[in-house]
Amino acid sequence: MLPLSLLKTAQGHPMLVELKNGHLVNCDTWIFVKLSVRQRFSSVRPPDFEKIMQDGDRFWRMPECYIRGNTIKYLRVPDEVIDKVQEETKSRGDRKPPGVGGRGRGRGGSRDEGAAGRQAKGIGRGMEDAGAKGRGKGGPGAKSGGKGGGRGRG
Amino acid sequence: MSGRKETVLDLAKFVDKGVQVKLTGGRQVVGTLKGYDQLLNLVLDEAVEHLRDADDPLKTTDQKRSLGLIVCRGTAVMLVAPTDGTDEISNPFVQPDGA
Repeated sequence: MLPLSLLKTAQGHPMLVELKNGHLVNCDTWIFVKLSVRQRFSSVRPPDFEKIMQDGDRFWRMPECYIRGNTIKYLRVPDEVIDKVQEETKSRGDRKPPGVGGRGRGRGGSRDEGAAGRQAKGIGRGMEDAGAKGRGKGGPGAKSGGKGGGRGRG
Repeated sequence: MSGRKETVLDLAKFVDKGVQVKLTGGRQVVGTLKGYDQLLNLVLDEAVEHLRDADDPLKTTDQKRSLGLIVCRGTAVMLVAPTDGTDEISNPFVQPDGA
């Protein structure tokens, strides 16, 4: 089970988010944590219900808030989510892992902009490590097969 | 870095509304959101910093510091929340068995 698939499944469930500074954010009913490829921001959006925020020993209820992803220490996910995750992994067993599309790297390869190229490379190394390796070993042409093979060997 | 369009932030609905912003390092600022960009740099008008207790930086005191029109650097922004609908509540986690 991948952390991101757990979090995706946990969308819509209450969860507790502890931040690195010790603050707690408790979300009811709807939390949408989007950890994008660069995991920049998590948006915590309970549209109708409240977010309870502990601030020292004071508590606040607010309709919604945005939290910077890198300040999150951990997310406490309700137990029932884990069963749903497994269902989901079965149904999408042969799907590509997110972010392993050729698109991102293809764009990075265009070296008209030094900065953009560097960024894309960095992302590729960080997030698409497994996919890139697999493709390299699998050789050209074996797109999805190569990926699986690479992972198996590695 | 944030050049991509796929942002989850929708700050447009907070424009011209009161927002509470927490910054890395612990400062808390409340102001009217006048503008923002994709790096999360924020323009706040009539900004007021809520000063913290010198002994316990997690606690805010009633002391305030008026800042006026400011730009909050996006890299320092940790939390953005609307002030509308934000109320202080009692501890919701107090339960008989302490869970």
